[in-house]
Amino acid sequence: MKKRQVLAKTYLLLVLIILYIPIFYLIYFSFSSGKDMNQFKSFTWAHYQALFQDNRLLAIFLETILLALLSSLIATVIGTMGALAISMVRKKSQQKVLLSLNNVLMVSPDVIIGASFLIFFTALGIGLNFGSVLLSHIAFSIPIVVLMVLPRLNEFDYALVDAARDLGASSYQVFTKVMLPALIPGIATGLFMALTYSLDDFAVTFFVTGNGFSTLSVEIYSRARQGIDLEVNALSTVMFLFVLLLVGIYYFITARKNKKTRKGLGGLIK
Amino acid sequence: MEEQATGASACSYFCKMDIIQLKHINKRYDDGFIALKDINLKIESGKFYSLLGPSGSGKSTILRIIAGFTQPTEGEVWFDGKNITDLDPAKRQINTVFQNYALFPHLNVFENVAFGLKIKKLPLSQIKPKVKDALHMVRLDGYANREISELSGGQQQRVAIARAIVNEPKVLLLDESLSALDKRLRKEMQFELRAIQKKLGITFIFVTHDQEEALSMSDEIFVLNDGKIQQNGSPVDIYDEPINDFVARFIGESNLLPGRMIQDYEVEFANHHFQCADAGMKANEKVEVVIRPEDLDIVAPEKGKLVATAQTQLFLGDHFEIKAIDTDENEWLIHSTNGCQLNERIGLYFDPEDIHVMRQHESQADFDARLESYEGEESNDE
Amino acid sequence: MNNKKARAFFMVPYLMWIILFVILPILLILWYSLTDANHHFTLSNFALFFKNGTFLKMMLNSFWYAFLITIITLVISYPTAYFLTKIKNQQIWLLLIILPTWINLLLKAYAFIGILGNNGLVNKFLHLFGLGPVNILFTDFAFIFVATYIEIPFMILPIYNAIKEINPAVIQASEDLGASKWQTFRYVLWPLSWPGVESGIQAIFIPSLSLFMLTRLIGGNRVITLGTAIEEYFMTTMNWNMGATIGVVLIFLMIVVMLLTGKKAKRKKVKL
Repeated sequence: MKKRQVLAKTYLLLVLIILYIPIFYLIYFSFSSGKDMNQFKSFTWAHYQALFQDNRLLAIFLETILLALLSSLIATVIGTMGALAISMVRKKSQQKVLLSLNNVLMVSPDVIIGASFLIFFTALGIGLNFGSVLLSHIAFSIPIVVLMVLPRLNEFDYALVDAARDLGASSYQVFTKVMLPALIPGIATGLFMALTYSLDDFAVTFFVTGNGFSTLSVEIYSRARQGIDLEVNALSTVMFLFVLLLVGIYYFITARKNKKTRKGLGGLIK
Repeated sequence: MEEQATGASACSYFCKMDIIQLKHINKRYDDGFIALKDINLKIESGKFYSLLGPSGSGKSTILRIIAGFTQPTEGEVWFDGKNITDLDPAKRQINTVFQNYALFPHLNVFENVAFGLKIKKLPLSQIKPKVKDALHMVRLDGYANREISELSGGQQQRVAIARAIVNEPKVLLLDESLSALDKRLRKEMQFELRAIQKKLGITFIFVTHDQEEALSMSDEIFVLNDGKIQQNGSPVDIYDEPINDFVARFIGESNLLPGRMIQDYEVEFANHHFQCADAGMKANEKVEVVIRPEDLDIVAPEKGKLVATAQTQLFLGDHFEIKAIDTDENEWLIHSTNGCQLNERIGLYFDPEDIHVMRQHESQADFDARLESYEGEESNDE
Repeated sequence: MNNKKARAFFMVPYLMWIILFVILPILLILWYSLTDANHHFTLSNFALFFKNGTFLKMMLNSFWYAFLITIITLVISYPTAYFLTKIKNQQIWLLLIILPTWINLLLKAYAFIGILGNNGLVNKFLHLFGLGPVNILFTDFAFIFVATYIEIPFMILPIYNAIKEINPAVIQASEDLGASKWQTFRYVLWPLSWPGVESGIQAIFIPSLSLFMLTRLIGGNRVITLGTAIEEYFMTTMNWNMGATIGVVLIFLMIVVMLLTGKKAKRKKVKL
């Protein structure tokens, strides 16, 4: 019994070390006064100073967040509507077709999505800028929202609708006061997933963005292609702290909200 | 499998052989919880045993120790004359029917039942007839190709039994195996389990918290509470002669009153002196008195040994359940085929042998010793 | 009646999305693959793909690498997921494993430029044993290594959830019926955790075909997978028709793979 715990812990620790080495490697060299990630020269804040004076990077950072918020919100609205529409379709075969179409973007490789969207925007004469990126992010986030909301709808007890009607609620009231509240957990997870999809995306954005607009991922890529830039290391540290903060907040909220339901973390990963 | 004792099967009929013996078993969990305290028990081959007790009494822990899933903190487990305390569950000639059946959801009925035989690398030609027999035994002929998810609870239960008995274990452990079934099905399975056990002639050890179940099926019952064996004996012994208040309360319904032993065969309770059948206690010793509700008869007030007022009455089909309060403010539960009027003054009558006098917290060993010293003089049983 | 109106109201934007962003892009990429630069119908793109050995080799390479990445990830992740279900404070461990996935993929890839470099961490480590320096960066090995690193958490999680859902009594039942540890794994644990393994494979195999940024940053800027080839044709050489052709082939292969893996094996009936 005890021996197995030790073995389990050792193995898990090893995996964790491997998972974290790159991150701490970046952070470590962000304080080095050198020019590369080979030799730690002397301690310096210089890269952080450069980072916070880099207006271009800061603008991109804010734009990335704005993009994520906007795209996930719109995707959540359309996705929720889609889930409602699918659940209202009576024929099982039609439902299946809709669901299959819904899942096409879920299973497609990012390069295919990016390339086909690029063709699409060009064919329609839509310029490659913030608009095209926003549309793309909305498009690839919709299916995950549908998939998160749909199970809630299938669990939904339609006797509640009758009950509400019986008590004099209008269709609109039934929808806003009875159905939506029951769907909220699914909608929230969907929103959260859409947010991470958008923040995480590189490949699709890379295809559909033009000269005028860039996200953090694309910016890091283009800088990394030019070689080591310790300002990027400083950026890593900031982002790592940012993620820690978010996780901390998330943990604090869920720990208080649902001490019993231990499903919370599953939603953290796409 | 080593084939031992060619005379084993003959022995199970003629001599009483202990197939399992637990010696001074203690179990303490990592969190400090003490599940078992010095458990000693002997299980003979070919009998139906029940481990009966409330949840947390340690009955399931005993079963898990016998199966090998749990290691005792101290003590030894003997099987067929060998110490198997450290033996892997896979190597014990004991099989288990799990609480919620624990059937393999990815396998169908045939594959579930055949699992143990396939593990032993038996050829399919030998597996098939054995599985067929086992399914026949549990009356599931023709179900071999069904998926587990297609079966009802009762059928899953039968598959679980078939999966265990197909390996021809010497002992079958059943962990609360009927508790998930509804009442009617449970009754049916009780009869069937007993019939299967008789047919196979192997030992069944059945864990349950349902006293009715234990009473109706077992040759012998171990009543457990608080990690200790409170009493063991035949169902009749345990019902008629509970040795302490826990057993009295747990087995059947009972009227339990504090009392005082005046002398041998005379006890005082409810402010009256009564003749009784118990002896061997100190004079004036404080005792507890049990009278079963069905041993109380309703008679005219002047004919009763006690006088009481009926408070509530429920008709339960084959008898009335009446609650009454006597002149000493004790509440009495009466099961009687005759009803009475509410607030009617009634007499309660009972025979001396209906009074069961118990010492407080007497253990089985002490009880046996006391009984022995009075043996011969008069039997405690009627 | 009301229901119909509501359905139409909900359906319109969703259907618009399906038509514009699901069906139309597929048709467009198909159209591009079947035309030349002057929008004339042609099969020459496909002819080029299947005649030219480099494309076929690249195709095999892509699937071979995706396969390797998936298998290595699985081998590392399965025990991790299994041990996770056995340990105390699982939520904390799980959080620690998920956390790195929240760091931008490009940053992690960038880190490996330093780690795998000639004077990087790995070579410094090898130097302790008197080895190296070994040229790791800009090799196919580096690509597989980093891709595996990135995918590990995505494999651990579904497997962990699948194992967690297995009733522990079933494992005990297996031991009770005489199965050894290995037999219990082979006949009970593995088949019951298979749904998790399957979703892990799905989460890794197809996306790993698109990791062109890794081949660019770590794999030495060479075009070694179909994903990189598509990116090359669309973004560098601007031959969209050829790029679309490769895309169509990739889509076709994906469908084949999915059909093959999606099929459930029919169980043999036994006669008693």
